[in-house]
This record gives sequence, structure tokens and C-alpha cells, in this order.
Amino acid sequence: METKNKHLLLWSSLGVVVVLLAAALEENVLRQWRRLQAEVAASDGPFSTGIRQIVATTTGTIDRCTTCHVGMDPAERLAGLHRLARPHPPVPHDLGQFGCTVCHGGQGRATESADAHGDVPFWPEPMIPVRFVEAGCGTCHTQVGVPTLERLAQGQAVLERSDCLSCHRLDGRGGTIRPAGVGGMEGPDLSVVGRRGFAPDWYGVHRQRARENKDPVWRDCIPDLSPDERQLLEEYLHTRVGTPSVVAGQALFHSLGCRGCHKVSGVGGTEGPDLTSIGLRDPARLDFTNVPGPHTLASWLSAHTRDPARIVPGSKMPKFFLSDEQVESLTYYLLSLRRDPSKKRAEPIDRTLVERMQRREFATDGETLFAAFCSGCHGPQGEGRRFPGQPPAPAVGNPDFLAVADNAFLLATIRDGRPGRRMPAFSDAEVGLQPEEINSIVEFLRRRTPPQPLHSERRWVTADAARGQALFERWCAGCHGKDGSGPEAPALNHPNLLKTASDDFLVETIRRGRRGTNMEGFALPSLNHPVLPDQDIEAIVAYIRTWETAK
Amino acid sequence: MEPRQAPLKELWSHLRETPRRFKESAFRSGPPVTDRARSEFVFNNLFLHIHPVRVHRWSLRWRTTWGLGVAVTAAFLLTLITGVLLMLYYKPYPDVAYQSIKDIHYVVPTGRFIRNIHRWAANLMVVTVFLHMARVFYTGAYRYPREFNWLVGLGLLVLTLGLSFTGYLLPWDQLAYWAITIGANIAQSPRELTDALGITPYFDPGGWMKTLLLGGPEVGDESLIRFYVLHVAVLPLALVVLMGVHFWRIRKDGGLARPEDADALLGPPRDLYPVFTDAPTKTYHLAAIVRGRSPAVNRGPENTIPSMPHLFYAECAVFMLTVFLTVLAAIFWNAPLKEIANPAVPENPAKAPWYFLGVQELVSHSAFMGGAGIPLIVIVGLGLIPFLDRETEGTGRWFGGPGGQRLVLVSAVFGLLSVIAIEAFAIQFGWLRQWFPDIPQLIITFVNPGTLLVVVYAIFSLGIVHRYRSARAGAVALFTCFLCGFVVLTIIGVHFRGPNWGFYWSPADWPKH
Repeated sequence: METKNKHLLLWSSLGVVVVLLAAALEENVLRQWRRLQAEVAASDGPFSTGIRQIVATTTGTIDRCTTCHVGMDPAERLAGLHRLARPHPPVPHDLGQFGCTVCHGGQGRATESADAHGDVPFWPEPMIPVRFVEAGCGTCHTQVGVPTLERLAQGQAVLERSDCLSCHRLDGRGGTIRPAGVGGMEGPDLSVVGRRGFAPDWYGVHRQRARENKDPVWRDCIPDLSPDERQLLEEYLHTRVGTPSVVAGQALFHSLGCRGCHKVSGVGGTEGPDLTSIGLRDPARLDFTNVPGPHTLASWLSAHTRDPARIVPGSKMPKFFLSDEQVESLTYYLLSLRRDPSKKRAEPIDRTLVERMQRREFATDGETLFAAFCSGCHGPQGEGRRFPGQPPAPAVGNPDFLAVADNAFLLATIRDGRPGRRMPAFSDAEVGLQPEEINSIVEFLRRRTPPQPLHSERRWVTADAARGQALFERWCAGCHGKDGSGPEAPALNHPNLLKTASDDFLVETIRRGRRGTNMEGFALPSLNHPVLPDQDIEAIVAYIRTWETAK
Repeated sequence: MEPRQAPLKELWSHLRETPRRFKESAFRSGPPVTDRARSEFVFNNLFLHIHPVRVHRWSLRWRTTWGLGVAVTAAFLLTLITGVLLMLYYKPYPDVAYQSIKDIHYVVPTGRFIRNIHRWAANLMVVTVFLHMARVFYTGAYRYPREFNWLVGLGLLVLTLGLSFTGYLLPWDQLAYWAITIGANIAQSPRELTDALGITPYFDPGGWMKTLLLGGPEVGDESLIRFYVLHVAVLPLALVVLMGVHFWRIRKDGGLARPEDADALLGPPRDLYPVFTDAPTKTYHLAAIVRGRSPAVNRGPENTIPSMPHLFYAECAVFMLTVFLTVLAAIFWNAPLKEIANPAVPENPAKAPWYFLGVQELVSHSAFMGGAGIPLIVIVGLGLIPFLDRETEGTGRWFGGPGGQRLVLVSAVFGLLSVIAIEAFAIQFGWLRQWFPDIPQLIITFVNPGTLLVVVYAIFSLGIVHRYRSARAGAVALFTCFLCGFVVLTIIGVHFRGPNWGFYWSPADWPKH
């Protein structure tokens, strides 16, 4: 018995000693960062080894990334032979104050690569992949006044056409007219001109210098630009804030009508989820069953953008048949939506403008507003759209529609929406648009077709509703439903429609129909139906009007 | 009187003698080379004198205790030492707490290893405490004169669970936050009863308990500091004091329990010499005349052997084995640390610490009975055992008493089958709420799978008492049944419960959303 105890004591103690030695070895020799620092020291010469960290006062983080990425340490100057000895590319921020993780994500306190890069369970903010590196700016920043992709391209075209890149540098291009000049650039770098701002009379100044003709470089420096062209160019320059890829994605986001259903920074529809913090989603909490590729937020977002219902079964979001480039660009923008209101971060001016000063992340011209808020359902030209399993969205850009719909009707419809249907109330309370912005949308719709009122009164139909019921059920109920709830067509029994639509609107829509849609003109000859006399059409309208009182 | 040396020379010789004098002043009994000297060494040493000077050979058989009490103590000392080290870096404030654990993990020298030791030693302590209790129960060691020490042991069990539970919150990660939220809701469970009676606005013991525990309506910074103070000061102090009482009572109650015929069973000692012939002077002084139940009173010290070194070898061996197992686990498995606590993102399923998952399973059937009623019945029942079982047959023997090993086996089979049957039924077919949606909650509170199980176990045990005409047999049946129930419910809670506490054969089947 005693021998047994002695043996147990001996072997347990030896075991403890062995384990402790192993622990000491692991702690003092085998740590990954020690090996990496030794590698760097071997190629780039000696430096003070040990765990390094950036205590970032501005962001309140502690980042130990420089333990391995030695060259990125603001205080370190190495030859940069080893990949970890290279310095950080120049950025507007002081690395010593901002640290690393606020832009790149990842786990700053960790000292092992997998943990630090965040590719581990239980770390909700893995690093943003390098190809989406600008997305990190969205942790604090946002972009103000981004128009549609088309307008952005037009602005860029003006810039290219005007030969601005001869003197100026922009997003890594241009500025080579006189290589002997300072840095090979005659004019200032415009890559972040949107953030820095530029003189309002820049155009006049340029023209003036060109006329003075003292310096040959300034000769013909800028061609004649129309006010429209100048506006496009300035709009473009205002979006040059150092994140061209994010801005491109954002412009696409504003071109596809995504904000009609999704809120970003408090403005947008409520049909889909709020995307303000989508870039902070924890990949561990996402379903990757049907997502190809690695289990990262980027691959989930791009797979979801491509085909929402495949990734989230039962999703109401329609499939938009986007190209690979569009998916990539949207993913880039979505990844940049990293606003976390619960974290107290230093707030840059652009964020303050958007969140406190009612400045918009989107440009507020009617074209951009329509594209950003309406085109998702109503189509880029307002031609109307229909997604499987959902009622069609009316063709609001259709000349037949615009001819009979007056501005008050358009305004009220956009403002109050169709509660209960997909059309939200775009007013300040729900979607967040200001009255003047709704006005801009109406003006944009109106740009080609003015209203053509026939009657001065809004209500003038006095026909027999009972007769209208029979006609309605014969000719209209097929699409609009017996009760007008319209499973296959706009809902005619909606109180908001009945309240705001004039009799002209209803009568003339039935008479003329809407060319290009399923709605035929019932006063026009057709193979599908007889030509209805005006009193029949008025009877139908009278019947439709009965739903107003019935409700 | 000797002539005095020159003062300086004297000073020099004193200085030279200092090491020897120091040793003599510290260890008065001289080098422990004879049994007598060893006895005095033990007796005169504050830290050793909690041991008897001589110990019965029965107590040193591995089979007698499997060293479980020493293992618990070893695990506790490990958590104590590593806990103090962790305190140097830990900051008990929300979010900062989480970051400090990250720092301990990543940059504090050996911090990760020390935290792992702390975690696994704490778990080992909970496990060994349960095993130790089962050992004491099955060897009948709680009987006269050890009833009080059984109660002290129960107190230690509760304190151990309390220490482990309070430590659970400190990392301030999702695991901690939601486990403690669940734990606090379990504390609030009496509210189910007061709600059903409609008296919650006037009398709300559940709410008070939860508020007392958390320092607020939900887990927050007040809870963290509260748990911290409990974990590092209040509970360890209470545990140390109660451990002292526990150990002291072991000696005062006559050492470890052993059968009446232990001497005969052991046979004559082989390699040990008789005490009194070899050591002519009396081995111990005070111990022999103090009235009480120290091993030497009323019988000779035959079949006892000196604690030093025999008992100490055994104790050190178990101690080092515990240390070895703990550091081994600590080097291979990291203590868990999930995302930072986020009150806005509930874990689903949110699970209490594993030793409370049996209780959580019962709570899923009825909050009041599962969280308060049944645990109270179990604690009170355990405390009553030594006072109901006043038999003597089989003391000190494994599964001693009427029925013996067979009764334990039968009870285990019965206990397992009934808990599995009742749980399987409830999982497969639901319970009253699913069948009669409008049934009053009060009925479910008292008629649910948990209470049904308790009733089945109680009836079975009463039957055993009747059949064997022995309270001990009934106690063995009941204890075995509850042990089986505890194990099965805990396993169900740990492994088979998924989101919304639904049943899943494996965590791999959990729905993704």
C-alpha cells in the first residue's frame, strides 16, 4: 500500500514537472510571434523584440498587430525585406492614434495570427479582406451626396473629357503633364477633394488663369462647361473622399432602388432589414448552407445579393439578376456599413452631417431620389415591375399614367404610401424623406409628361354603381379581384387611392389604359373586350367609389 | 558558571549557531527520524496537527475513500493559488473585465495556463465534491457520530457550487452573461407560484432573491462586482472556515468510518512493527487523555500506523495526481471564452453552468418546482439522511447495509429507467400545457415531469424501506435514484437541449437561424 502511494506520488510529480516544463517551453519559445519576429530580425536586422501594442487614444482600442507586423509600428523603421517588415501605406490617419482594428477589423488584443485576424469561433468581427479594404472606413465615415451610378459616370466623363487628369491626380491616376514639376503633378491631388472641399468658384479661377495665358501649362486648361456639366463634375468631385470603390457600390445601391425597402442611417423603407450595421454582422450567426466559398461575411453578402431567397429561405427580397461586377460592388458597399451606435467612437464630420444635420448620403436631385427609393419596384424608367409571387408595381413613369395623374395625387401617394401593401409612406415618419425631396421625385416623374386635366372638379362621376358592379366583375375583377384588392394588379379598394385619385384619373385610366402594361384601354378597340361606352366606364368608377364609403 | 567569552567572539559564535538554533526553534521535536519524533513533529506543527498522529490502516486503503476528499482539497488549493494570481490582472468592470481576460489569455506571462488551471480545477472540484459525497453516503460514513460532519459537508457542497457559479460570470462573455441570467431566473423561480396565487405584488421572494443576487433587475455592472466580491472574498473565506470545521470534525469523530471488524478484515500487519515495544515511551501525550473519539481511546493502537510518513505519502500522492490531471488538462484545453457579453443578443439556447443544467431541465417543466421546490426537497432530504438512518449495519463498507450492492444496482436501473421514461414521454408527447392550453399554471406547477419523477422515486424508496425494514435501504434507494436522475437530467441539459430548449439528438441538428 505504501509502495503504491509512493509510486503514485513519484509519477504524478514527475508528470507535473514535465507539464510545467512544456508550459514554460510553449510560453517562452514556441509562441508564434516570437518565431515571426526572429524571421524579421534575420532578414531586416535587429530590433527590440517583445509584444508590441498600439494604445489608440482616439478609438479606445489596444491593438497588438504590430507584434508580428513589425514594420507597421509607427515607431519602427525597417528595410522592409521581410513581408512583415514593410511599413503601412500612407493613410490620412495617424496609426499611433487610431490603431489597426478600427479600420481593418480583427482582434487587436490577440497575439496569434488566426485569433488576431478573427478567423476563430466567438470573434464576431473578423478582419475585412484586403480586397474590400476601403469598407473599413465605414466604421466611422460615410459618404455624403452620392448620386446614381449613371450620374457618377457622367460626372467622371466630364472630368476625363475636360482633361483634368493632365494636371490633377485622382484615385491613383493622372497628373503627368510636366513630370519635372513637384511630384509630377501640376494641380493638387483630387483623391480626397470631397472631404477637403474646394473653392466654389474653381471654374472661374481656372478660366481666368487660362485667359491670362502667362504660364503655358494653364493654356486651354479647361474647356467650356455648361452649368449641367459643371454640376455633374462637382457632384462627382464631392464623392471623392478616398473611398472610390465604396462610392461606386453606394452609387449602384442608389441606382437599384434598394432604399425603397432598406433603411441606411435612418432613411429608407421598412420592408427589408435595416442595413446600417450590416457590415458588422457576425458570420458565425449566418446560415452558410447554400453559400459557396469561404464562410465569410463577404461571401454571404454577395451570395445573398445574387439570389436572396436561396440563402435565406422565405426571403421576400426579389432576385435582381445582377452581374458579377454589380454583386461585387454592392458587397463592397454593404461591407462598409459598419456603423455601431453602441460604440463611442470619434465622429467624423461626414457622419455628423448625416446623423445630425439632415445631410443625405444620397444626392437629392429627383433622378437620384427616384432611382434610390422607387426604381427597385417601379423600374429604372418607372416602367413598372413584377416579381414572382408579388403584386405588380404600377408603371409610374408611363405617359398614360402621368397624363391622368395630377401632382397632388402623386405627392399624396408618395407621402402616405399604401399601408398594408408594399408601397411605404415615404414621409419623414416612416421612410424619412423630406417634403421637398418628395417634390423632387414628383418633378422628376413630371419631366416629360405634364398633367392633362379634363374636369376642374376632382369628383364629377354620377353613375349607377349597381350597374358598374356587374361591369367590374365582368371586365376588371380578373386582375383587380372581385373586391378590388388586386392580387394581380394595383389595389383599387385601397383607402389612400380612393381618397387621392380624382375621377379623371380613374375614368381616363380605364378609357385609355396604360400602354406597355396589362391594362388595356376600354374605350379603344380590342380583341379582348368590346369598346365600353363612357357611361359604362363611369358606372365602373362609381362602383369603385362605393368601396370608399364601405370601408 | 562558565567564564564569559570575549563579547565579539561570543557574537560570532552566536551568528554561526543561528541556523541550527533557528531550526531547533522552529521544529522543537528534533529531526523526525524515529516514530516518536515523527509523532511529535506532527503534533507540534500547526499545519500537520489537523492529522491524527497515528492513523488506522483501514483509512489508508485506496478503496476506502479513493482519496476523493484530498482531491477536493487539492483542487480547491489550486483554484485558490491560481485565483489569487488571476486577481492581479482581472478588472471587475463590464467590458473591461472581458478585455482583461483577453489580456490574461494573450499577453500575461503564463496567464493562459493559469486561467486554464483555475477553470479545470474548479470543474474538477465540483465533480470530486459530488463523488466524495457519494462515497461518504455509500460507505455509510454519515452515521453516528458523524451526522454533523455530513451537514458540514452539505454546506461545503453548496459553497462549492456557489463559488463555481459566481466565478462563471467574471469573464463577462456571452457564455457567462446568459448562464448567469438563467441562473438568476432560476433564483426567481418562486415567482411562478406567487404569480399563480396572484400575490406577487405583495410577496415576491423570487424577485427579492434575484435582485439580491444581481443587485438589479438584470445582469449588469452591479452584478459583476457583487459576484466578484462573493467569488474572491466571501465564499472562499466561508469555504476555508467550513473546511477547517470539516477536517477537525473528522478527527473528533474518530477518523474515517470503518467497519467494526476492520482489524480482522485487514489481518495482522505484515511489515509494520508493534508500536509499544519499539517505542518504549508513550507515543503521544495529550491525545491519550483527552476525552473523545481519537483512534487511541478505549483501544490499543494496534493496526494503526504513524501518520508521518504513511498518511502523508497517501495525501501527497492524491494531491499530486490531482495537480497532474489539472495541469495536463490546462495545457491541452483552453478555458472557454466566447464573444463579449451582449445583452441585446441572447444566446439560444442559453444554458446555465453544466452542474445546474439538471435543474434547468426541471425548470423547463416548472420554474417553481424545478428551481426551488425540488432542489429544496433534495437538500433537506440529504440533510435528514443521518437522522433517519440510525442503523449500524455496514458502516464503513461500500454499499453496506441491507440490500448491499444488489439494491444499489436495482435502484440505479429503476432510477435511470424512470427518469428516461418520463423525460422521453414529455419530449415526445408534451405535457399538460400542450394538451389543455387553458389549464391553470398552478396545476402544472405541481403536476409536471419533475414532480412526477420525485414522487416515483419516493414511492419506490418507501417500498424499499418496507421490504427491507430498513431506513438505510430506503436511503440507498432514494440516493441512488436521485443520483441517476441528476446525471440523466444533466446530460439531457448539456447535450440534448438546443434552441428554445427543444430536444435535438445532436448539436449538429440545431437549426441555423
